[in-house]
Amino acid sequence: MELTDADLVARVLVDDDQHAFGELVRRHQSAVRGLLRQLTRTDVALADDLAQQTFLRAYKNIRSFRGEARFSTWLYRIAYNCFREDARRRKELVGIDEEQLQTQHDPQVADPGLRHDLMRALSLLPLNERSAVLLCCQNGLSHEEAARVLEIPLGTVKTNVLRGREKLKRMLADWGPN
Amino acid sequence: MNQEDWLDQQLREAAPYIDDDGFTARVLQQLPPPRRSHDLLRATILFGMTLLASVLAYVVSGGGRFVNMTVERLAALPALWVFALALATGLVIAAAGATAAITNGRALET
Repeated sequence: MELTDADLVARVLVDDDQHAFGELVRRHQSAVRGLLRQLTRTDVALADDLAQQTFLRAYKNIRSFRGEARFSTWLYRIAYNCFREDARRRKELVGIDEEQLQTQHDPQVADPGLRHDLMRALSLLPLNERSAVLLCCQNGLSHEEAARVLEIPLGTVKTNVLRGREKLKRMLADWGPN
Repeated sequence: MNQEDWLDQQLREAAPYIDDDGFTARVLQQLPPPRRSHDLLRATILFGMTLLASVLAYVVSGGGRFVNMTVERLAALPALWVFALALATGLVIAAAGATAAITNGRALET
């Protein structure tokens, strides 16, 4: 029988079992690295560095995981904090305004692949909308869970998801179902 | 399929599984060393306390004279009494061992 995340966390807490923690990393690395790649606008090296930081921080602070949320939600929160701290350090511009968004989107020069256009459209969204869309629409978190991860009010999450989706739909209008 | 469902589906499909490719091993290498087990500390404390209690008992009892007296009394006992005493002691120790084994077995199962 496969151990649940809660079982593995318990082993880490009680026995400081690093093999159990390794299993948690193996289970969640793809989702965490994927989220960070999208947040960093597909900067793979930076995303993987942040993912490593995320798991190290999770290990050091695992006592603060009380099991109220899913382990993955808790990890996303740490990952998002790592990303935000790094972005602050780099003084990265965290958003692109509507005008910039319109001028950068040119379907004629775009790669014909839908996946490529989607990634590009996502990367053009302001950070608050991008992160809300990624968590809710891509990673399947509820609005409440996303609000906990992003540490913002529930209403703001809903607004950001709505706005982000609208922009994505506009940018991908050529691809959408008729 | 409406446009919202279509968009959600595209977003989910745009997040393919990322192969581990040594990532977990790199994370594990960077973890701090595991905490030292408390078992060694517990054993040291128990051993030290036992040693201290033995020394105290030896000093307080006037050089362990009570041991000599007890041995003399035991030697004076009838053979049947010595046998009964040994049997009772053996049973008590066996019962304590069995209880400890059962308790540990249950703990391991959970």
